[in-house]
This record gives sequence, structure tokens and C-alpha cells, in this order.
Amino acid sequence: MLKKELILRNPLRQLGFETEDILPAGAIGAVLSHAGVGKTALLVQLALNGMLRSQNVLHISLNDPVNKVNLWYNELFHHLAGRYERAQINGLWESVLPHRFIMTFRVESFTVPKLEERLSDLTEQGIFSPTMMIIDGLHFDESRRSDLNALKALAVKNSIHIWFTVHTHRHESSGLDGLPVSFSAVAVLFDLVLELQPEHADVHIKLLRGGGSTQVGSPLLLDPSTMLIKDPM
Amino acid sequence: MSSTVEKVRNIGISAHIDSGKTTLTERILFYTKRIHAIHDVKGKDGVGATMDSMELEKERGITIASAATFCEWQDHEINIIDTPGHVDFTIEVERSLRVLDGAVLVLCSVGGVQSQSITVDMQMKRYKVPCIAFINKCDRSGADPSRVIAQLHSKLGHNAVAMQMPIGLEMDFRGVIDLLSMKAFYFEGENGEQVRSDEIPAELVAAARSKREEMIDAASLFSDELTEAILEEGSISDALIIDAVRKGTLLRKFTPVFLGSAYKNKGVQPLLDAVNRYLPCPADVENTALDLDHEETPVVLSSDSSLPIVALAFKLEDGTYGQLTYVRVYQGTLAKGAVIVNTRTGKKTKVGRVVRMHADQMEDIEAANAGYIGALFGIECASGDTFVSPGLNLTMTSMYVPKPVISLAIFPKDNKSQINMSKALNRFTKEDPTFRTHVDDETNETIIEGMGELHLEIYVERMKREYATDVETGKPRVAYRETITQRAEFNYTHKKQTGGSGQYGRVAGYMEPITEGEEDFVFDNQVRGGSIPTQYIAACEKGFHQCLAKGPKMEFPVTGVKIVINDGASHAVDSSDMAFQAAARGAFREGYAKAKAVIHEPIMKVVVETPTEFQGAVMGLLNQRRGMIVGAQDEGVMTVVEAQVPLAEMFGFSTVLRSSTQGKAQFTMEFALYRQVPQSIAEKIAEEVALRKKSAA
Repeated sequence: MLKKELILRNPLRQLGFETEDILPAGAIGAVLSHAGVGKTALLVQLALNGMLRSQNVLHISLNDPVNKVNLWYNELFHHLAGRYERAQINGLWESVLPHRFIMTFRVESFTVPKLEERLSDLTEQGIFSPTMMIIDGLHFDESRRSDLNALKALAVKNSIHIWFTVHTHRHESSGLDGLPVSFSAVAVLFDLVLELQPEHADVHIKLLRGGGSTQVGSPLLLDPSTMLIKDPM
Repeated sequence: MSSTVEKVRNIGISAHIDSGKTTLTERILFYTKRIHAIHDVKGKDGVGATMDSMELEKERGITIASAATFCEWQDHEINIIDTPGHVDFTIEVERSLRVLDGAVLVLCSVGGVQSQSITVDMQMKRYKVPCIAFINKCDRSGADPSRVIAQLHSKLGHNAVAMQMPIGLEMDFRGVIDLLSMKAFYFEGENGEQVRSDEIPAELVAAARSKREEMIDAASLFSDELTEAILEEGSISDALIIDAVRKGTLLRKFTPVFLGSAYKNKGVQPLLDAVNRYLPCPADVENTALDLDHEETPVVLSSDSSLPIVALAFKLEDGTYGQLTYVRVYQGTLAKGAVIVNTRTGKKTKVGRVVRMHADQMEDIEAANAGYIGALFGIECASGDTFVSPGLNLTMTSMYVPKPVISLAIFPKDNKSQINMSKALNRFTKEDPTFRTHVDDETNETIIEGMGELHLEIYVERMKREYATDVETGKPRVAYRETITQRAEFNYTHKKQTGGSGQYGRVAGYMEPITEGEEDFVFDNQVRGGSIPTQYIAACEKGFHQCLAKGPKMEFPVTGVKIVINDGASHAVDSSDMAFQAAARGAFREGYAKAKAVIHEPIMKVVVETPTEFQGAVMGLLNQRRGMIVGAQDEGVMTVVEAQVPLAEMFGFSTVLRSSTQGKAQFTMEFALYRQVPQSIAEKIAEEVALRKKSAA
């Protein structure tokens, strides 16, 4: 019961997507914002939603150690499920955890072949086969184009979808399409691009590229105190 | 004994296994002239380091018991507790942290912050112990102190700031630059006992200046005077910096980092200066006791030697001199002839001898003042007991003691061993609250329980060596538990009429899983109108309680059950305590059968550090063992794999891990939680239990 209710609170439902996954298998998406606005929090919510639907999520972090990533999941899940009974929550938490695998790399040593090798270590031994992947902390610029192409190929080959966080800088100006100049060079590779923009007390989630068939009614907001997507009014 | 408490330091040296803390302690004792020769941990001379006084420790090159020792450096008295590095002995570590005022966190300059350092650091946080860091083994190949400092930030969240800079590294490690005095220090003489200060080598001057600035910047957050001095751009006195760093350290918001190589006799003396400068004296730390006369309200203790005594027995040792009780005095003066009361037992004792220990040698002293660590002779107590002056009824906060997760049957081979074994067990259970023992009433076997395979192994070894006890051990058994998963009603009548007076009692109500809190058993009496007379309610509770030791499902202890009784019946003549106890037992069985009982097993947090090329194999090993892998962390050449694995699957893991990683991986394991056993495994356990019962019969 609790599981169903939590699934129904799919954070991006409001952006008007028909499918549960938002991104189809083989697609890649990006969440853009300045530092500390909530990219990781948003993606962890998407991951939790997937895990609740028994999908395997591989979370790759290039900045944080495993414990810290784990803490994100822990905090957000308990915030999400906060109003339910504790025993029930703990039981559910235990049951969704096997659907997650955290892998961390150092930024400087992260390469796509290395990731592929790790991934096949997991899949070939039957340890873990992801359907969704999060890559948090990769730096984007033109030099990454070949990496992105390789990752896209990886997504298609393994029929998974991949979400990236993209750190944008305040001093950087936006191009005509609203995308930061350094990112717009590689933006075409992405099937979907979201941006988080702090406005007054809220964080707005804006669709910059791709999107659902129906358009958004009210704006989608992130609550800065809990980092959760606000329930529609 | 020094007269002022300001010049006393009670410190611990804690670290990951093999990062060299025992060697460091040994060097400290040498430079403070407590010992006159240096022995290595895994000594070629067969003597072993002075702190590892237990024979077994010397053999295995690890520190089990935390021997307390004392030394003097630059007019300061330093009491050192050498703490064990292996996770199976964490109760020892926790116990030592309880009595410490500060700690030196030793890190290996190659291995950096390893999993065990994280556990130790968490314990330090729990007891709010301020610490300074010492990056050891700077002479080893692959040494990289700046990486270790970065890890202190990222992995442990310390505001770690370098107070020194290395002069050369690895093979070329020659000395350190002190960023406070801006001098280079070299350690000369046969054992590095002569510290020579010199000008900073020209090529390092610029780097040292910028590092010094960084350090002063970080320290200025804790001192307005220092900030002002920086803004005025005049000269900044050492005292100002020391004061700021000390303030930050005491708040646990600044971790000064020192460098060296204890094995190569480098950097130890400046570390001792730092202990005196930056770590707290007993008066800097607030200690509280609980007042048993006033519902355990906390009472702040003052390190005033003229007040009534409050002291904590934190360690017992049975050695050449009889039973030795290590105590930390928090308040008052524990002097020869003083009368003390053990708060737990209420027993009054007169203090005979007070001594000060130096590993396994000792020195008689007249008294131990507030803030000091000493040892007493011939005092009957268990570790963790509080001693007070008559009239006080205080207890030091009870220490967190985890429940054992593994058990083992032991059999003495002959009668002599039987007697010695009971002596040994009696001693061990007093020394270590996580080590327990009992006799199984069905099989009559002596069972020992503890926190892990190695934990029990060490005690069995100690039994053999110290008590000449020849024992055989059975297979280790995991401490499974039973619990219920749904509410179930019961209504049971116990009726017997077989000559003599009859027995009659009816108990009705329901049982349900406990969802809130950590209690194992809750009994709630909601009987109204006297359907069960009040005098029999206690008998009912006792009856239910009796059922918990062995659950009806598989005879494992039952936990997490709430019993509510709301109805029943009695008979004017035939009802008795016995009858209601029997009725309650029957009611428990009746309800339990309907409450969907399940088996829970202990799950361990297993952290494996492995060279990256073996990480796939390691994950495979963990996966085969029903492990849930939480994550894999890339650490350059090493990868750290963290998983949750059932304890039952971890037997013999160290051997398998060694063989599949060419001995290059190591792992630590600690209890994490209890989780439900999957159905297929539960069936296997049931078979094993049945088999065991059959063979016992």
C-alpha cells in the first residue's frame, strides 16, 4: 500500500510524461544547475521512484564517497515516507535497497572503458543489472563529446537510460537556446534537459529540451528545506 | 606526581590495525625515558613491544587489551591508553575512549583513512574526544601525506590542517618542517633521540610559507586576537597561534596534523609537544555522572581533588600481581586507606595499594588525584563499575554494550581443564562485557558468546595459554532470533483435575509485533473487572516471559513481541500462580502459531579493501554469500567494497578472500542489524536445528 502511494508521487509526473521512466531505454538526460541547488537530490528522487518500481539503479558518483551518497537516499526516502508508520517504512526501505548499487570513481580516473569493465563485472556474475544509471559529477565541455557518445552507446547496448548532473557556473552566459555556452556544444546528444533555477524561496524545475506530450500546468518546484519536489497545490 | 591538573594529559592512540600505533607508543615511552631499549612489534629479538604485554598479542602482532601506561614529557604527565585496532575488540576501544580526554589518531601515509579509522573516528565523535592526527610511515614507498589530509576532510569530515611539512618523502624522508616556529627538525643519534633544529632548506621555504599562512588562516577562526594580529600585518606570536589551534581542537573543529615515521624514529618528539600544547587536560573536559537518588539526573563532576571521590573502573587485568583494576578518577582523591563504595553492589572497600602502570611493570603511588588514571589491587568489581565516597550514589553513564552475535560450544578435555576453564570464563566475562557465557540446559554444553569469530578465537587461545586449559570447540553458531509479523488472538484455558487440588486458569488477549522502540518484550495488562484476579497478573507475565528464551518455532530467543491480556477466568479453589503461568505459556503458544513467526539473522557490515584488479572477484565472493553490495568506491590503486552480509555466511571468509586476491585484500566486519531470513535458508536452519536436537537427545 505504502509502496503504491509513494510510486504515485513520481516527482516528474507533472512535467507531463506518459511513461513512468520519463527517459526511454537507451536515452540520456541531464539536470543542470549551479552548485548546491539540488541536482543530486532530484536525481536521487527519480532513482528512489525507480527502485520502488523494482528497477535497478546504478548510482555513479565522481565527487562523494559511498557513505555520503547512501545518506542522500536515506534522508530523501525517510522524508518522502515520513508520514507513514516507522516499522512499515523500515521494512520497505530494506526491500528497495537491493535495487541500488553505488559506485564511486575519482573524477580524474573516470573513463568510459573503466565503467564498462566494472559494469560487466556486475552483470556477468549476475550481481546487478541496472535499468537506470545516474552519473553525478562529470565535467562537461567539448572534450567530453567522445565520452558522451560512448556512454550513449553503452546506454543503447545495455538498454538502460542514463541521467547526468551538469554543474553550471554563475559567470557563464546562456546561449540562444537558454543553455550555458559550454554545454550547448554537447546538448544535442541529450534527449532531455532540465534546469533547476532558484527563484525567491523556491527552486523551479524547468524543461529546456525534450519533454512530454502534454504541457505543464503549474510550475514544478523543489522545496529547498527538504530538497523534495513539492506536492502540487 | 605533578600537582596541577593542567599538566595532565589522558590520551589514547587509536588507529587502523597495522598503522603502527604500538610502535609509536613504544617510541614515546623510549623518548620519555620510561623504557631504555626499543623492541619491535613483530620483534626479531623475541621481546615484542612493551605495550603488547599479553603473550598472544606479541605473537600475532596486534594489541588486544588496552594497557594503560604513563610517562612524563616537558613537565607534563601523560597517561597513554593503547587501544586495540581490530574491530572485534571495539568494546575495548569504546571503554578506553570513555576515560580519555584526547586522542592521537594515527594514520598510515600510504593506506590513509581506512575503514577501521572510520569506525574509530565515529566512536571518538560519540564520546566527543578531541584529537590530533599523526601521519605515520612517511618513509614508506607510496607515502603521500597530503592525500591523507584530503581524506581526513572528505571521509571523516575533519577540518584537518597540516602543522608540519615533510622534508623529502619515502626513501628520502629526512625530517619535518615545523610551520609554527618555521624551523626544520632532524632526528639524530642512534635512536633519533637528538632533535636538531635548523634553517628550512632553501627549496622548501616558499612552500612552507604558504602552508603556514593556510594554517594561520584556519586557526584564526577560533581567535579574535589572532585575526586582529593578521589584519595588523605585524608579527604573529607563537603563543597566539597555539592558543587558537588549541581552542579549535578542543571544540573538535580543528584537527592539527603532524608527520613522521615512528619506526624510523622521526617526528615523535614534536608530536609529544603537540599533545601537551593542543590536547585537553582533565579540567577542560566536562564529565557527568548519573544521580541514582534522583532518577538518574546528570550531575556535572568537577576535577577538584578535595571533593568526594567518583571513579570509574574501566579495565580489569589478571596478571602476575593478582587482580588489577584500572580506574580513572573523575573527582576527589583516591588515596591509600580511603573508603570507597561500589555503586552497583553497594559494597564498601578500603583502598589498599594504589599503583601507576607502565604496561606490565608498576610503581606504587600514594594517591590518584582527580583527572588521573591509576590502578588498584584486590578490589572485587566488574569493568564499568563506579566507585564513590560513602554517602554519594552516583554512577558514570552506562556504556553502550552491543549484544553478542555469535556463539560457540566449548568442551574441556579433562577435569583439571574444567576447573581452569570456569576460572578463565569468570575472569573474561568480568573484563569484557561483550563476552558472555552460559550453560545450555538441554545439551549441558558450555556456550561462549561474542562479537565475531576472531573475538571468540582469541579468548579460547587465552584460555589455553594463560589458564593451561585444554578445550575443544564446536562449530560457531549464529545468534538467530524469532519474531512475529502479525497480530494474533489467544484464549487459552489451562485445566487439570488429576487427583489432589486441581489447576485452573484462563488467559485471553492478543500478541502483536512491537513497531516502535527497541524493546524486546512488552506486557500490557488490560484486564478489567477482575476476570483475572490482580494477584495472578504477575504470574501471567512470568508465564509469557518464560516462553521468550526459546521460541516455539525453532527455539531461538523471541524478540519484539507485545502481549496484551484483556480477559480470563479463575476458580476460587483451583487457581494458583502455577496454573496461570501454565495458562500463559499455553496462550503464548496458541497465539504464536497464528502470528506468522519468522527467523531473523544478524547482518554484518563488511568492508573489503582490495586492489582494483580484484574488485570484480571480491564482489562475486560477497554476492555468493548472500551479500547485498552497497557500493564500490574507487581509491586510486585500491577499491573499497562495502556490503551487508549475513554473519552465517562469513565463516572462513578471510581464507577465501586471501586466496582469491593473492593476499592483497583485507576486510573488517561489524554487526549492522537483524534482518529476516529468506524462506529457503529458514528451511535449512530448521533442518540443522532438528539434527542438533536429535544428536543431543
